[in-house]
Amino acid sequence: MNLTGVKTILFSEEAIQKRVRELGRQISDDYRDKHPILISVLKGTMYFVADLTRQMDIPVNIDFMSIGVYPGISRKTGIVRINKDLDINITGRHVLMIEDIINTGLTMGYLVQNMEARKPASIKVCTLLNNPFKRLMNIPLAYVGFQVPDIYLVGYGIDYNQEYRHLPYIAEFDEDEYKNEQA
Amino acid sequence: MAIITISRLDGSLGYEIAEQLSQKLNMRLILRDTVISDWMAEAANGYQLHMLAESPKFYLTNISDGVSFKDYIEARLIEEAEKVPSVIVGMGGQIIFANHPNAIRIRIIASDHIRKERLKSKYGFGEAEAEKLILQSDKKHKKYIQTLYGIDWSDTKNFDMVLNTDNLSVNQCVDMITVLAASKDSLTASPGFEEAGRSAFAYDRKNIMFKHPAEEEFATILDMYGIEWEYEPRTFPVQWDAEGNVKMAISPDFYLAKFDTYIEITTMDQKYVTTKNKKVKRLRELYPDININIVYKKDFHSLLKRFGFSGEDEIDEFNRSENNSVQ
Repeated sequence: MNLTGVKTILFSEEAIQKRVRELGRQISDDYRDKHPILISVLKGTMYFVADLTRQMDIPVNIDFMSIGVYPGISRKTGIVRINKDLDINITGRHVLMIEDIINTGLTMGYLVQNMEARKPASIKVCTLLNNPFKRLMNIPLAYVGFQVPDIYLVGYGIDYNQEYRHLPYIAEFDEDEYKNEQA
Repeated sequence: MAIITISRLDGSLGYEIAEQLSQKLNMRLILRDTVISDWMAEAANGYQLHMLAESPKFYLTNISDGVSFKDYIEARLIEEAEKVPSVIVGMGGQIIFANHPNAIRIRIIASDHIRKERLKSKYGFGEAEAEKLILQSDKKHKKYIQTLYGIDWSDTKNFDMVLNTDNLSVNQCVDMITVLAASKDSLTASPGFEEAGRSAFAYDRKNIMFKHPAEEEFATILDMYGIEWEYEPRTFPVQWDAEGNVKMAISPDFYLAKFDTYIEITTMDQKYVTTKNKKVKRLRELYPDININIVYKKDFHSLLKRFGFSGEDEIDEFNRSENNSVQ
């Protein structure tokens, strides 16, 4: 398997699964009798949400969202739009947003605002990885898998150019090495 | 972010309803004329503007890179409507915003008889002229929607509410639309609906004089994500002299009220950021409840690159001229 650019493994498959089990238990305890909706942001969260929910022993609904940045026409930057919206009505429900990694917080900020407008009973955020070094805004994180350094990571759903999502571990990624190989 | 689309027949009072609605709810009114004269003028030459006024099929013409005039208008409408609460008249708004969680789609109709009477009264038309006008107008609207979207303009399935103004006044229609908007949680919960004036001010960059091009670019990024911001809303004194006069203060560039966070942008080279770092450090010591983040040059350029802006050279040039003027 060509793993150009994939460097040091930060979190092994075992370490990830152990932490996911802990999070699953913690979330189950906190949301007992609340029947939460876990909203997973595609695509990076696919393995995380699958493993996390299977560690939960409470009733839970799962839904998916996808957002995209669309290039503007007369502007230099684009707009953020929802590609795939929720199927489930979250009004009055306890919502837990699931994210793979939070860097600047812009995406989660957009999502939290969007969800709040739909008047859920509560809304909290669970992220597998938290990079506080790039954070632009204060977003309370109720559940964090791991805090990470300010480096590019791939694996366990996180990609570089749609590659490497399938790796069972999370590793540092050398973008320059990858680009040089591609050139 | 609140969006109300109005589809109307000529003589149905649709324009009057849209206008009153926008005033009552403090929402921007976007008309086809606005789009053609202001927005399209950026993308089309004189001939193309003429053709757009005459031929719906011309909207499918490619402008550049596979983007047609239709695509341009749609993207621009979405972009603008998501920045400022808007009432959008015509232009296929009921299709463009069909799945938008913060939009409601209204159709205003009236009987042909009533429409003709109104047009006769308004323009001094005779019976035949009024008849001709509504036939031509309906045909034109129908052709536009059919050509661009392949659907029946009058299909009521594309609307959340249809109002017949034969026996309803403009005020009554505006009240009913307002009630519908109020009952649609996602619409009223939007800051744009409840505090339309505040949001409109916050997003109205024409009134803001950014001191640095980087700040304007950063505001653009925040707008892209629909993150409300205020520009330099507060000054924090961080050092005083022996007499209690303020010696040093900092006015962080942005405040994101929703996230209770101040953001200070710095695009200077590392050797010039010492003073700024010192100020922010003092702010954190003196005001521990204040959340403030600094965005340094490297991270700022990384953000710009991520969102497709290539203005790094302009910003660096601006910084160089600032440094030279200080020295």
